[in-house]
Amino acid sequence: MSGDPIRPGAAEGCDGNAAPYVLGALTDAEHEAFLLHMGSCAVCREEVASLQSVVAALPAAAPRLKAPRELKRKLMAEVAEDARRQDAAERAAASPRASQRRWRVSFRPVFAAPLAAGLAAIVVLAIALSGGGGSAPAKVIRAEVTAPGASAYVTVSDEHANLTVSKFPPTRIGQVYEVWVKRAGNPEPTDALFDVTSRGEATVEVPGSVRGVRDVLVTAEPDGGVSVPTSTPTIVAHLE
Amino acid sequence: MFKPQRTDTGNQSTAALRNLADEELMQMMRRGHAAAFEVIYDRHADAAFSLAYRMCGQRALAEDVVQEGFLALWRSGARYDRTRGSVRTWILGIVHNRAIDALRRRTVRDRGRVGDQGLAERLPSPQRTELEFARQDEAREVRDALEQLPEEQSRVIELAYFGGLTHVEIASILDAPIGTIKGRMRLGLAKMRMTLGDPAEVVQ
Repeated sequence: MSGDPIRPGAAEGCDGNAAPYVLGALTDAEHEAFLLHMGSCAVCREEVASLQSVVAALPAAAPRLKAPRELKRKLMAEVAEDARRQDAAERAAASPRASQRRWRVSFRPVFAAPLAAGLAAIVVLAIALSGGGGSAPAKVIRAEVTAPGASAYVTVSDEHANLTVSKFPPTRIGQVYEVWVKRAGNPEPTDALFDVTSRGEATVEVPGSVRGVRDVLVTAEPDGGVSVPTSTPTIVAHLE
Repeated sequence: MFKPQRTDTGNQSTAALRNLADEELMQMMRRGHAAAFEVIYDRHADAAFSLAYRMCGQRALAEDVVQEGFLALWRSGARYDRTRGSVRTWILGIVHNRAIDALRRRTVRDRGRVGDQGLAERLPSPQRTELEFARQDEAREVRDALEQLPEEQSRVIELAYFGGLTHVEIASILDAPIGTIKGRMRLGLAKMRMTLGDPAEVVQ
């Protein structure tokens, strides 16, 4: 078709994926790869930001309809039930002893057996992300995740690590994801607390050096984080 | 200090909440205030359902998508970041992603089924408020901007955004190279941006 561009992308090596990304038209694998790519490509980040403002306006093009009345009734019933469960959980978690007991029971099996059927195998890909002369190649480690359809990667470079998650479910109200590092003993808390976007995405730096760290873990914890995990890890990345 | 009221849906409370901005309601919602969530729902449910129905073409599926989307909002209100856009944009983003997931779970044969267009209730004549006029203007401008594009560009944008198709599927349907499809998407969105004058935010 005349007028169509031969060169699809804004910058060489970017594969022209910014537009399909903002439209939600990448495959799952491409979506994950593009997220990783954006971490190191300012051109793509800028193009995505520019195009997202247009995509945000597209829903207005849909014919306007009225949401069915019964939908609100069903939804508010779920919300009320959710609030009731949350209250019960908060009461149950009020006892520190109960929290620690729950951790010991639920956390240990994670390392004794597979997280669940269908968990992704650990894939370690040694790829040079920077391509810069002299620097050690970054190691990208695919983590085990409990959430169906979700994925997580830890990128390790020069003893520092970044965690990238995709299609991750939001935590419950009053909770936040907390990153832990595990050396020889129990998991150690970090200052890294994070939320996911509406797309379930997040990129977070693992604080400090990861020298000697065997595993990077993520759990859902009360807002502000805790010093002892109170739930089963939702992400486990084996660095060694 | 604000005292969370998880299930307070009394008329008086709700009436007072309706005067608050979305961002204030989100702050309350993240503390578990169900009535604040209800007001948010009332403000944006029609837009969310319209988008879901436009994408799914079936009322039942659109209802599921909207319900999942708003439940995700209720459970992830703390994730809302006002620097990334309005609450409305955030909600419609969630619904769009849920609709894409729903569409991609369907089989190819399901996707070809005729939808139940006409079964959903059209919005009655909107109240003649300033906000409604602004929303109608915005809708007209966006539709015009889309229609002004060359057909091959508007087609790929519609198939991707409203159809939930990947660029690979679109390339197959249109029998065009993947690079061409990506280029049409990019050119079309860039032209729309120029036409709309950088619509940094949709009308609240």
